[in-house]
Order: sequence, then C-alpha cells, then structure tokens
Amino acid sequence: MFIEYTWLIPVIPLIFFVIIGLTGNKTPKEGGLIAIIGALASFVLSVLVVYEFLTGPAYNGGVGYVTDAVTWFSIPGGFTLTLGYYVDGLTCVMLMFSSLISLLIFIYSIGYMHDQGKRSRRYFAEVSLFLAGMLGLIISNNYLMTFVFWEIMGLCSYLLIGFWSFRHPEGDAASDNAASAAKKAFIVTRLGDVSFMGGLFVLLYAFQSLDYVNLFDPAAIAAVDTNLIVLATLLLFGGAIGKSAQFPLQDWLPDAMAGPTTVSALIHAATMVKAGVYLVARSYPLFVQSADVMLLVGLIGGITAILAASMALNNMNIKKVLAYSTISQLGYMIMALGAGGYMMAIGMKEGNAALIAAGAAGYTAGVFHMFNHAFFKALLFLGSGSVIHSCGTEDMREMGGLGKKMKWTSITMLIGSMSIAGFPFFSGFWSKDLVLESVMKASEYGPEGYIFMIIWILGVVTAFMTAFYMFRMWYMTFAGPKGHATEHSHGESPSTMTVPLMLLSIFAFGSGFLILFGLDGIITISPDSITGAFIVGMHEGHGAVHYIEELFTNPYTYLTIVLALLGIYIAYLMYSKFSVNPGKFNKEGESRLYKALEKRWWFPQLYDWISWKFGYGIAKGVDYFDRNVIDGTVNGLSGSVVGSGESAKYVQTGNVGNYASIVMIGVAAVFVAALVLIYYMGGM
Amino acid sequence: MFDEIFAEIPILTLLLVIPLIGAVATLFMGGERQKYAKYVAGAFSGVTLVLAILLMFVDNTALLSENYLWIDAANIRISFILEMDGLSLLMVLLTALLVFLVVVFSASESDRPNYFHTLIMAMELGLMGVYLSADYFLFYIMWEVTLIPMYFMISWYGGPRRHYAAIKFFIYTHIASLVMLIGIFAVVFEAAAVNPGVIADFSFAAVNAASGSFGEVFQVLVFGLLFFGFAVKMPAVPFHTWLPDAHVEAPTGGSVLLAGVMLKMGSYGIIRVALNALPDGALWWAEIILVVALISIVYGAYACIAQTDLKKMVAYSSINHMGMVMLGIAASLLYVKYAASPDASIAQIGIMFAVFQMFAHGLVTAVLFMVCGYTGHALGTREIPLLGGLAGKLPAYATFMMIGFMASLGLPGLVGFWGEFGVIFSFYVAAEAMGMIWLIVFCLLSIMLNAGFYIWAMQRTLFGRETTKIDLSHVHDVSKAEGFALAVLCVIIALFGIWPDFALGYIETFVANFAIPGV
Repeated sequence: MFIEYTWLIPVIPLIFFVIIGLTGNKTPKEGGLIAIIGALASFVLSVLVVYEFLTGPAYNGGVGYVTDAVTWFSIPGGFTLTLGYYVDGLTCVMLMFSSLISLLIFIYSIGYMHDQGKRSRRYFAEVSLFLAGMLGLIISNNYLMTFVFWEIMGLCSYLLIGFWSFRHPEGDAASDNAASAAKKAFIVTRLGDVSFMGGLFVLLYAFQSLDYVNLFDPAAIAAVDTNLIVLATLLLFGGAIGKSAQFPLQDWLPDAMAGPTTVSALIHAATMVKAGVYLVARSYPLFVQSADVMLLVGLIGGITAILAASMALNNMNIKKVLAYSTISQLGYMIMALGAGGYMMAIGMKEGNAALIAAGAAGYTAGVFHMFNHAFFKALLFLGSGSVIHSCGTEDMREMGGLGKKMKWTSITMLIGSMSIAGFPFFSGFWSKDLVLESVMKASEYGPEGYIFMIIWILGVVTAFMTAFYMFRMWYMTFAGPKGHATEHSHGESPSTMTVPLMLLSIFAFGSGFLILFGLDGIITISPDSITGAFIVGMHEGHGAVHYIEELFTNPYTYLTIVLALLGIYIAYLMYSKFSVNPGKFNKEGESRLYKALEKRWWFPQLYDWISWKFGYGIAKGVDYFDRNVIDGTVNGLSGSVVGSGESAKYVQTGNVGNYASIVMIGVAAVFVAALVLIYYMGGM
Repeated sequence: MFDEIFAEIPILTLLLVIPLIGAVATLFMGGERQKYAKYVAGAFSGVTLVLAILLMFVDNTALLSENYLWIDAANIRISFILEMDGLSLLMVLLTALLVFLVVVFSASESDRPNYFHTLIMAMELGLMGVYLSADYFLFYIMWEVTLIPMYFMISWYGGPRRHYAAIKFFIYTHIASLVMLIGIFAVVFEAAAVNPGVIADFSFAAVNAASGSFGEVFQVLVFGLLFFGFAVKMPAVPFHTWLPDAHVEAPTGGSVLLAGVMLKMGSYGIIRVALNALPDGALWWAEIILVVALISIVYGAYACIAQTDLKKMVAYSSINHMGMVMLGIAASLLYVKYAASPDASIAQIGIMFAVFQMFAHGLVTAVLFMVCGYTGHALGTREIPLLGGLAGKLPAYATFMMIGFMASLGLPGLVGFWGEFGVIFSFYVAAEAMGMIWLIVFCLLSIMLNAGFYIWAMQRTLFGRETTKIDLSHVHDVSKAEGFALAVLCVIIALFGIWPDFALGYIETFVANFAIPGV
C-alpha cells in the first residue's frame, strides 16, 4: 500500500528543494518551514514503508526484499539501466535514522540560522537536496542510481561546506578558508567517486545490468570471472574510502568543519559519510567473494580508526575534535564489515555454517554501530553548535565552565560523550564491543588472520583514546573555571535547538538497547541455505540473553570498559581537577609526536604535494609546450607557407586585400588539387 | 502528428531558406533601422527553432529527405540532397536552439548590430546545410559557408588581437578544408572509377554504395586526408592551437556557436563521411584515432589547469570534451577490430554516446561561453587572479557559472555526465577486447582533472574574499535577456540529465541503421 510509493521518499525533498530555490524568500522562515514539512513527509512515509515492509509477506517468509523499477534507458547490446526502489532490512534501518535525524536537524536549523537572513533560503534549499540525495541513495535499486545520488550528495556537501565561502560574517580570511575547504572536500571525495565509477563499468559489462537483484544473484556471480568481481569491489571500496573519509582520503573531513555546524551534523550523522559504509554493506554479496578484499577493508578501517583518534587528542577546536571522532568511528564500522566479510568469505569457501554466522555478526556489528553513531554524533554536533552559537567561538581554550550557563546543552552533550566513549549500557558501548568482538574472532581464521589481531589492538587503543579525547572536550567546555568566551556567552540556546538535543539524547542513550529486542535480526545478512542468495534480515534476533551473555562473559569487554573509564579519568585529572598538566607531554613545544598530530600526520602537505606535482606542475609544462612547441611550429609553418617576414606582417595588419588574396590562393589550390585528381583518376 | 502538414512543404529546405532570408534582411538594415536587426534575427531564428522542434515529432521518415538534381553535366552529377536522421536531428536542434539563444543573449550588441546578426544567420545557414546535406558538393559548400561568417565575426567584433586570431582561424581551418576536399574528390571519383560506365555522382548514397570496392591502400590514404580535415575542426591535439586564440578574441555569440555547434562539424564529418565512405580505412586508423583522442583528453585537461583567462580555460576544456567524442568513435572501431566475435549492437555503443556527448557538450559549452562572455563585458577582465568572491555581489551569475561548470565536469543529474559515462563505458568494452582495461585510467584521470580545474576556478572567482583588484561598484548581475538564455539552457541541461533517453532515443534509431565499419 505504501511500499509502492517508496520512490516518493527522495522525490519529496527534491521537489521541496526546487520550491524553496524558486520562492524561498517569500515563505515563512525563508524556506525553513517548507524544508521541515518536506523532511517530515519523508520521515512519515519512511515509517509507513518500513512498518509495511517489516510486517509484509516479502519479509516474513518471502524473498526478503521488495523492489520495482522502470527502465531509465538502455544501451545497445542488452544493457538496461533502471530507476527504482529496493527495500530490505538494511534499507529500513538506514531510512529510519537518516530521515529522523535530518528532520531534527532541520528543526534545530531554524534556531541556528535565524540570523542569516536571505542566506537561509540557500541553506534550506541545499539541505533539502542533500536529504533527497541520501534518501535516494538508500532506496536505490541499482548502482547507477546510487552513484547519481551519491554525487548529488557530493555537490551538496560542496555547497554547504562552502556556505560561508563568500562574505563570511567573520571576515575575509574565514571566507577564503571555507572556499578552500569546500574545494578540498569535493576534489578529494571525487577521487573516490571516480574509482566508484570505474567499478560501475566493470560491473555493467560483466553483468549487463546494475540492478541489485541481478548482481546479487548467486548464479550470475558464479558466471562472472572472480578477478573482475575483485576488481569491481576494490573500485567500489575506493568510492567508500572517499565518501566515508577513510585512510588515506580522510583529510577532507576536518576541513569540512568550515561549514555551519548543522551541516556538519548532517554530513556526519545522517548523510554523506554514512554513504560509504552503506555502500560496502550493500555490496556484501560481491565483497565476500574474496577474503583478501575483506582483509584490506578491515585493515583500512583499523588504520583509519587509530589515525583519526590520535589527531583528536590535542586539538583545541571543539568541532575538529568531533570531526576526528567521526572518522575514527567510521573506521570501526568499516573494520567490522571487513572482519565479518572476511569470516563469511572463508566460511562460504569451506562451507562452514558457523563461520558464516560469525561473519553475519560482524556485518550486524558494523551496521549497528553506524545506526548508533548517527544518533550520538548528531547529538554531539548539535550540542557543539549550541555552544558555538552561544559563545561565538570554536576554541575550547576560551570556553570552560559553560555547564552552569547551558544546563541542557551540557547534560545532553555528556550523554553523547558517554555514548561514544563506550560507557557501559550507553549505545556506543554495545556496538563498539560487538565490533571488537567480531574483529577478534576473525583473527582466528585463515592464514592472514593474525592481521585482524593487529586491527583489534588498534581498535582497543582507539577505544581508550576516544574516551579520553571526548571527555577532554567535555571538561574543557563545560567544567573548570569560566573562560573568556563563557563570560560573553548568551546562555542557553532557544528551545528549537534544545528540544532536538533532548530527543537525540534519548536515542543516544537508548538506541543500543534495540539490539536486545531484535534489531540484529533486521540487520544481518546470510546466504540462503537452498538458493545461496544473500538475504538481509528475516531473522528472529538473538535476544537480550544472548548479547548480555556474550558481552559480559567475554573478558575483553571488561578490558575495554576499564580502558574507557581510564580514559575518562585521565581526562578528568588533566582538564577538570588539573592535577596532571597536559603540557608536560609537549615540553617547550618540542614534542615531535605533538607536532605530528598538529600537522595531521602531514596529510594536508601530502595532498598539496600530489596536486602540485601531478596537477599544476604538469599543467604548467603542458601549457609551455602548447604555446612554444605546438603553436610555435604552427606559426613557423604558416610563416613559411604564406611567406616569412614581410608578408606575415601583412597577414596581421587586417588589410582586406590580403585576406582576399589568401582566399584566392585557397581557391586556386582547390582547382589544382581537382585537376590533379581528375588526371590521376584516368581523365574522366 | 504533423505528418500531414509536412507532406505539403519542403521543411528541410525551409531550415536553410529561413536563415538565408534572415541574413539578407538584416544585411540591408543599415542606418536608423539597425537597432531593429535583433528583432528580425530573433524572429527568423525563432521560426527555425520552432520548425526544428516540430521535426522531432515527425513519424514518417520518408518526409525527412529531399532530393533535387542540381548539376547534371556529362560526367558529373551534383544534387541538392537534404536528409535527416537521428544524428542530424540533434545537431539541427542544437544549432537552432543556440542560434536563437545567441541572438537573445546578444540583445545589447550595439556595434553594427545588423551585420552582427547577418553573420549569425549566415552561420546558421551553413551549419544547417552541413548537418542536413547528403551530397558531397553541397556538404563542402556549406562547410565553407560556415567558415567565412565566423572569420568576419572574429575580425570585426573580436578582442584586441582579433586580426591575428581571425586570420589564424581562417588559414588553419581552410587548409584543413582543402585537404578534406581532396579527400572528397578522391572518394567521389574513385566511386565512379571502380564501377566502369558510372558517372561521378557526388551524393553520399552513390559513394557509400561503391565503398565496398575501394582498395585497401586507397582507403587508408584517403581516410588520412579526411581525418586530418575533420580532426582540425574538432579540434584534436596537436591541431588545436587555432581554437584558444579564436575563442579568446571572438565575441560571446561567436564563441558559443563556434564551440557549441561548429566543432561538432568535425566529429559529424568523421561519423557521417569518413566512417561510411572508407570503412577499411577507418579500421586501419583505429589505434591512431585512439591515441589522438586520449592525448586530446589528457592534454586538454592539463592545459585547462594552467590557464588564467577564464575563457581560454573553457576553450581548452572543449578540446578535452571533444576528445571524448573521438574516443567514443575509436571505441566502436577498436571493439570491432579486436573482439573475438564482435557483436553488432555492442559496436554501436561508442558511436551512440559519441553523438550524445556532442549534443551534451553543445549545450553545456554554450552556458560556459555565455558566462565567460558576461564576465568579460561586465567586469572588464576575465583574468582569474583578478577575480574573487563574486558570488556575494552577483548571485545569478554565480549560480549559472556553477551549473555550467558542474555540468561540464560531469556531475550526474546534468547532461554532461551521460556523455562521459557512455563513452568511457564503450571504451572500457573496447579496452577489454584489446586486453588493456588499464587504458581507462586516462579517462578517469580526465574526470579528476576536470573536477580539479573547474572547482579551483570557482574557488578563485566566485568564493573567498571579494576582489579589490577591479572596481565592482558599477557591476550589475546578468541582464534579463542574458538570464533568459542561460536559464533556458540550464533547464534543458537538467532535463536531459535526468532523462537522457529524450536524446538517446533518437540516437538509438540512428546507430541501429548506421553501418559500423567492419560489422
């Protein structure tokens, strides 16, 4: 009943984008109200679709998905490209958190953007398009459509990160900074997109289609050369690396903080960076064809997690800390998907059902962490937005002692911080420990399994760092003596901003419990025992007892809990009690490690070097070659044909007589040529 | 549904006659009346556009062909043949649309507006002739007809170095035309020679019928002549240096038509003339075409990065994008040449998307040149280092520039993406047949570089701090006429971007009837 209208979910915000773009200034709140109505409509429709799907026949004993499509266009040779929707368990979970969080962010934006005047229209038009991009990507039934919406999101992130790229309220330097950040975000993610596009070509030629139903069909997969699938998955993963800010393309995300904080919340929680993780999860049937690919996925995730966490340790900018934490958490998700896929790939090769089930648990852990992260990261960003809105600065050294002035913000932020730090029973605790457990389990299998042991260690160290830097942020902002900016702050933000915070904090605390009540049954993946087709969801869920038993009988769970508490305690000593001076880790500013972190492990320099060497440098050479060698030859030749020196000068004087003579030469040449030809042809 | 009406009138001839009347009418509107020239030109180009649009709905293809005997000498037959298929239709539509919008966009042209519009209408006549004629003689004449108005357009209405640019444009492309003419004579007379007793018939049909009997060496040599003629026009590296100079000096209207439709004459010629008349020659040259295409793509993109003149950057981007067209053509040929058992329909993919890319590039590049033109006349300079932060003061201009740049760098949802996507896919197919799929790395590099130079250019012109190097106090955003022309193009770009089948449908019927060499 509603499921046939799934396609409307992205179309609604798309239409509202056009409406706001054309008429925004004449509508209430400069288009803000329209944007909220659009997001609300999408959310309600999503809820209806999800409810109908989960209670419908397809999910309960059927094939596990509902899909429908129209032909978009076809390419000679039997290649058909379609436009349509594809709903399964993964789609449901993605739809729920994306549309809900976007809705809350839109409501919050009314308060946050109220002083932007006419610019609000641009903002609300662009965020509507952004939402349309994410929702379209989620419901898409094929890779091409996914790619189109993927790129639309890329465009929107470019526009929104660069929202203040001209006439910035804080002056010219800030404008320049925003413009440069937007450029960097677009070009770096574009590198991944190009890789994704390459994957499309490989898949399209191999399968003659890009529809998920055709590509995930085990018979079709078996008919295609495995090397091609490996190539395609590597290229798709390249796309995910760009979009989800994984090593080595992670460096665009911290710069992206130049945009409004609500945009950061949107990018980090509900849209954009989740798309890469989603792509890997969605493509699982292809990815699990090779354990080696999955090993690489896991490794990239592990490296990303610790690399990003390290850079958050000494950063003074509240938004940058959160940006690094996002990258780090995305690393967890990718790491879990890699570990799960690794086990599943080996399990399928060996026909080991237990191993396949363990792989499915890894998939569940990755998607579950994405789900939880969406809520607590939205909360944290909106909370930081509330702080910045009130203090007018992003530098945590100028804050401090804000807790008393901003009670709701500080409490909700504390919940978010506890969640991401993995404090027991908060949402991040459940999913992070499931991720680490899967990685640990993966290390027991296969000849390269020991690499997962390394990844696990990276993950555990990251968990400690996360707890530390999150509480360092919280203490620096809300505890301790009042900072310079705190004195001048406006106090608590308006209720359009605090109410979304409260709602989100409920989810940020509680979303983890959903796994005890059957969420895992929806976000699991397993090959059907008869057909071999991959089915997402359609499981009962392991239930509360299973998870509580699994987590609390596992000694490593206690290890991560202890590490998290230790991290929080150290942060407390350093930034609230001040009994440990953080400065002693950077004696006289000489610490090399400290400098490395400040320089972001020199990634910005690396990017600059590459774009300089392989971009501008070659371009300069080409330009020189073009002007001197090629054009020089042309001008030299024409000089010798038309006549050098004197007559060449005539050519450039604009004397009409000369042009006429050139035309005459041309005509004469034609006749000579014709005569020669006719003679050659045997005198016609 | 219009079939009954069109059965009564020679509509293809009208597509040539109306611009001709428009050209003559504006030519004589000197003195006081010259300010009305734009309305006359607008009316004639508008009617042409309406006719071209109506042609989309003709079902009976027999109506889309007109044949009049022109010269029937003892040994030579030259006919006035006009024919229209899917390829011609798209090119005719593009021409009619861009000419009309150029007239609208140039509404404020105050320097001898009557001659300006005469030149525009004369160009429309020539372009329509090139895209419709099915006789070599007519084709060549029309080819030359496009050249002369463009020459005067640059040398009368151009920038400071206009005389140099105009003469360079003229000599360069004229030499290319002459080489092409030799090729044309060769195929026509060879067609007569291989069939004893047959007179030299200049029609495409007569040559194509005889092309099976052309010798291998003849085909290879003559294909080289034709290919050179067409490659200069496209233009392909290394025969491209006339283009940036011509564009930098040409007025906006001239640039739009030059890049939007005149460059397509080159690729149109390769597909329509060279591939059909000399199929074996085409196959022999396939690898060389590929190399030229790849060099044009990568070299063109790199050259864009180094440019400081906005218009010159856009001009170089044409070399990159027309390289994509050539790549599609090469892909079709290479697939046939290397596949173990070539599939006739897969072989069509390359040509199909090459045509789409021609159409897409025509639309997109028109926006780009209009935006650059506005930059030049409103701000007094197009030097990127002198600009900056313009989005704050000129929001409409910034929006159009952004749409144009995004479409040109191949953002999905806009028309430019599908041309690139399809061409690279066809090339992937061909490269797989060759066993060298790594070759698509060059295409992916090109996409990357495109994103690079466009985004970088936007950062430096639209964003960041507002420039203080030029006086912005009297600058106004795009005028209503300019805005109208740009908005129409942007809507069309989005329309074909969302639903590429609007154009692909016509191309599909064209390639289905097209004889791919070697199949």
